[in-house]
Amino acid sequence: MDKLSIILDDDKTVFASHEMIRGRVEWNLDANPRRLDLSLFWYTAGKGTRDVGVVQSVKIDDPGAHGSKEFSFALPEGPFSFSGKLVSLIWALELTCTPGSETVRREITLSPTGREILLGSIPAQSRLSWSRSDSAPDSVESILRAGR
Amino acid sequence: MRARDNPFAVDRVRTIRYRLQSGTSTGLLSRLKELNYRAALVGPDGSGKTTLLEDLERMLAEQGIRTKMVFVNDTSPLPDSVCRQLLSKLTRDELLLLDGADLVPRSCWSLLKRHTITHAYGLVITSHRPGLLPTLVECTTSPALLQDIVRELQPPDRPVPPESLDTLFQHHQGNLRVCLRELYDLYALGA
Repeated sequence: MDKLSIILDDDKTVFASHEMIRGRVEWNLDANPRRLDLSLFWYTAGKGTRDVGVVQSVKIDDPGAHGSKEFSFALPEGPFSFSGKLVSLIWALELTCTPGSETVRREITLSPTGREILLGSIPAQSRLSWSRSDSAPDSVESILRAGR
Repeated sequence: MRARDNPFAVDRVRTIRYRLQSGTSTGLLSRLKELNYRAALVGPDGSGKTTLLEDLERMLAEQGIRTKMVFVNDTSPLPDSVCRQLLSKLTRDELLLLDGADLVPRSCWSLLKRHTITHAYGLVITSHRPGLLPTLVECTTSPALLQDIVRELQPPDRPVPPESLDTLFQHHQGNLRVCLRELYDLYALGA
């Protein structure tokens, strides 16, 4: 059994704006933590520095070494989950333990379409490319060309 | 390739920490203590100064030494008024970690240098040039270092050939930050 887990009702991971996320957290730790924190947040990943927006958190004080607790969060209007080549926006639930470094994260998708929104491509800017046809290499021999 | 899957996304690159070219972190802390906690990490752009400063922050915390980190750059300067405010809040048990000391205005630097002798636990800076404080580490890069870092980040089924990395290293004059950003673009466009 994992030390920390986040279980979503019906294993549902895709949500629309304002929908409720329901589930439960379970913990099975070696020692009594002082506190557990469950947060609903989004963050960005990609070429730039990370942005984070914490939407809601719940604190479980003196939870004991083992246990479980149900939770529910109301999702906001947005931002929607999306990915482009430069940045992705990812929604997640995260359960952390204090003191200690135990943590577990469960990604979810917030989207009106039921899927992560994929942004269009950008014009090529890199001096390097995979090959003359810009196709992905299937071997080391598909050498990157520098200095174009 | 989606940004979240890019092997050179910033959060993945940031997991790569500074690699001391000689000695150990214990040796580094001993040397810093010998310098009375007043020292500089010196090197060109993209040589790992800020990364090492962040690592030093963690190492000092593990030693129970309190630190205050200040980042100065072109978009986040340190004008006189902010500098004075910073110094007024600094306590004697805090070590000031100042990233970008050579961008601090001269008058502000003089004040900061003088004030921290008696009103702080120490002062560790990053700088492009030596001479502001005794040099603790001179940060340098090499094509081999770039290759090592890229080997850790790149997907095994889509490696970047070492000769291309050498070209990239030369083109960016050893600035690893810019090299890694270009590799991000390469993977972003390549799939």
